[in-house]
Amino acid sequence: MNDKKQLLSAEQVDFLTEMMNIGAGNAATALTQVLQCRVDIIVPRVLVITDAQELSILTSPSLPVVCARMGMVGDVSGGLFLIVPEEQKEDLIRLAERAMTGGGQSWRAGITSQESDDLKLSVIAEISNIVAGVFLTAVHDFCKLNIYHTVPTVATDMVQALLDESLVRLSRQVQHIIVIENEFMVEENLIKTFLVMVPSVESVNILVNSIGQARMAMVKDGG
Amino acid sequence: MQNKIEVSMGKGAVTAAPHVILSSGLGSCVVVTLYDTERKLGGLAHIMLPDSSSLNGYHPPYKCADTAIATLTKELRSMRASPRNMVAKLVGGAKMFLSSDDFSPGVGKQNITSVKRILKQKRIPVIGENTGGNYGRNVEFYLDSGKVMVRAIGREDKEI
Repeated sequence: MNDKKQLLSAEQVDFLTEMMNIGAGNAATALTQVLQCRVDIIVPRVLVITDAQELSILTSPSLPVVCARMGMVGDVSGGLFLIVPEEQKEDLIRLAERAMTGGGQSWRAGITSQESDDLKLSVIAEISNIVAGVFLTAVHDFCKLNIYHTVPTVATDMVQALLDESLVRLSRQVQHIIVIENEFMVEENLIKTFLVMVPSVESVNILVNSIGQARMAMVKDGG
Repeated sequence: MQNKIEVSMGKGAVTAAPHVILSSGLGSCVVVTLYDTERKLGGLAHIMLPDSSSLNGYHPPYKCADTAIATLTKELRSMRASPRNMVAKLVGGAKMFLSSDDFSPGVGKQNITSVKRILKQKRIPVIGENTGGNYGRNVEFYLDSGKVMVRAIGREDKEI
């Protein structure tokens, strides 16, 4: 077989989940302010993927999604994606619209459908900015790593089609992709998001070592 | 009885009429179909990378263009397909994100170039193509006719 191996132990994945739980809590607080309504979180699921095939555990490859692609720079470089299934995109946009207009006149009044589509994508880009920012802050707080994300580029299509170029990089070298599946309860709407971190080959070890050290420090401190 | 065979990313399959081979969620990946027009048999590969020489150690045969096309033709020959009657069709090789800070041609373009070069060496004509652009595709390959249907979100279905 091939020489790919799991770099993170089961305990380290648990720790990562704990870290992302804090990130999700921060994201819910941020979304509460943006959407001006109550946002609850369901405990996130963290998956570390070492083979492109494993993506199918999460979703069907042709699931229509909206995806914001960002870059990671700083202590860890690579790619960062925020994915929202197409069927929940409209809910999210409707909630954002309500918050911004205070329930008054639609912002889409008097604009073309192209302008309306552009506006929707920019709402998704803005929410991606916020969510990515708070998750990276959680990584910083636990692991003392400074990671920044670049401006998002948003596209709507089938999930595997949007990710395959990044997944292809997996097969070139041993690499890890971290998928954080989050569910937010926004009033009665369940909004599912996937945050996908693709650390570059040069920085995957930095990330893994920092997670290991942070976990050990926490075990020593609190038991 | 018509069977539908689903081929996932980096995999391939060969079969005969009247079956159908499907592959979905193509972005920068390229699907190659080979079809023996006389015997009505063929195969499909969902290729991820242009070249296997950049990989170390073991890799699945259908992952890279060079080994995928070699495996497909070998499998088809063992089913008594004739290389003389073989025709190829290509789908995929998109660049999904158009951002202002990225001027690289992307893996999709490299995949298409590589597949075309290899098919030319093997003297297999490319008789249909739906490649490039910035959108994802689903593929259905009908072995009774050699027809390939390409479906994309928000676009009309294309037959090649």
